[in-house]
Amino acid sequence: MSFSLECKKVKRTGFTPAFLSGGLLAAIVPVLNMTVRSENYLGLHATPVQILMDANWQMMTMLNILLIVAGACLMYHTEYADNAIRRMCTLPMKESRLFFGKVTLMMLMCTVILIIEAASVAFCSYHWFELTHEVWIEIMKSFGYALLLIFPSAFGSLFIASACKNMWVSLGIGVVCVFTATMLPTKNFVLSLFPFALPFQIFAGTAENTACNFMIAALAEILIIGIAEVLFLKVRRSFE
Amino acid sequence: MSFLSLVGIEFKKIRRSKILLILTVSTIILWLPSIFNANLNFGMQAEGISPENNFLIQGFMGMAWFMFPASMVVSTVLLNMTERSNKGILKMLSLPIATSRLCLAKFVVLIALAAFQILMTVLMYFVSAGIVSQTQDYNFILQPLFVFKEAGLIFISAIPMLAFFWFLSVCIQTPIFSIGVGLASIVPSVLLINTKIWFAYPMAYPFFVITAEYGKLASNLTAAQVEFIPWIPVAIVITILCLSISCLCFGQAERR
Repeated sequence: MSFSLECKKVKRTGFTPAFLSGGLLAAIVPVLNMTVRSENYLGLHATPVQILMDANWQMMTMLNILLIVAGACLMYHTEYADNAIRRMCTLPMKESRLFFGKVTLMMLMCTVILIIEAASVAFCSYHWFELTHEVWIEIMKSFGYALLLIFPSAFGSLFIASACKNMWVSLGIGVVCVFTATMLPTKNFVLSLFPFALPFQIFAGTAENTACNFMIAALAEILIIGIAEVLFLKVRRSFE
Repeated sequence: MSFLSLVGIEFKKIRRSKILLILTVSTIILWLPSIFNANLNFGMQAEGISPENNFLIQGFMGMAWFMFPASMVVSTVLLNMTERSNKGILKMLSLPIATSRLCLAKFVVLIALAAFQILMTVLMYFVSAGIVSQTQDYNFILQPLFVFKEAGLIFISAIPMLAFFWFLSVCIQTPIFSIGVGLASIVPSVLLINTKIWFAYPMAYPFFVITAEYGKLASNLTAAQVEFIPWIPVAIVITILCLSISCLCFGQAERR
């Protein structure tokens, strides 16, 4: 019930069109890059997916994370704006279900934008390289990995948004986190475990062992942020 | 009511907003990597830039590329939301004040926040340059006049960008679109500064100006230099256009 309620809440806030257009914008990046500078990339010795991801993934992820941060702020803004959250708290259900309902919707939206981007990468591979059976599998693996690694930042930004009553505070903290993530070196394993830095990782060209570590770390972060949110809500409620 | 007192009221409204804290924390985070990686500044012989100049310019480039524009988007959200939550804007509109002056007063506050963040960046630069001078045994502190000149260039070139963000937040009523368009417009500025039409894209101005400064300081690099002729008129037109449209649109949705 909680999930369908969340879908209804965001219906008139422009949430879905914003995610769709953001996904399309990020999907245009590789197409545009290949149209303008294809000669830089065609001669490289790597698989098509790796070339495309190395060239474009940073900008695409940047757009994705900014979209997630803004979306998370908006989702909680609708609750806090006219004290709707007070009413939600009086309902006979746990306050954390609100969070998990929002997380589910956010995860769904992440999946949608990554599918749009995967389609664009597939198109680029088809148009400028050749689209073999292996390329399809690699695209699926890459974007599955990207999807798992983007979840911690979705959880993190929703956690921040649920903690701050004012939209600009949560947006400000989110933007500072994204900025910190851009400053962290992606080669350093410990530093790139920062939830907002994880989505910058690329599957293609990463050693299997490292990729596995990153996936475990992402799952652990999801779990930690989920538990932290439940505890945080309990503590905050007891002080209200 | 004089314009100055209007601006004063706007400042009072954001007094408890914690925005200054956010702006300050972001400048601290900006300089931390530079402090940890200070020894990299000595390996810039290929570019032909001195370590102390490199330290300053790299930090300022990090600021002008993403942090400063994104913080300004957050500030526009703040300026709008303080009015819209609890319908404060309705009370302001019922006062016998021209709405365009209200809008301009808010824009002045936005410019002041931008100036505050740049000043904090400069302050943090001196702090971190002092720390790095101690750890690396090399004088990283530059002439204050030079540092303020560079910071001032960023500030002045950012005014069209601020006008554009203000236009977005006033004219687009749905918050997620104004934030989304604002944040998304920052990302391509990296690509646009390398094209010939950079002067038509206000979000790229601060980064372009600071990259041009980098090119001047590094003797072996040829970065595109600022050409005033298409740029200044275009920038002025963009600023005036954005401000006048936002003055016209300000409060329209509430008055309907």
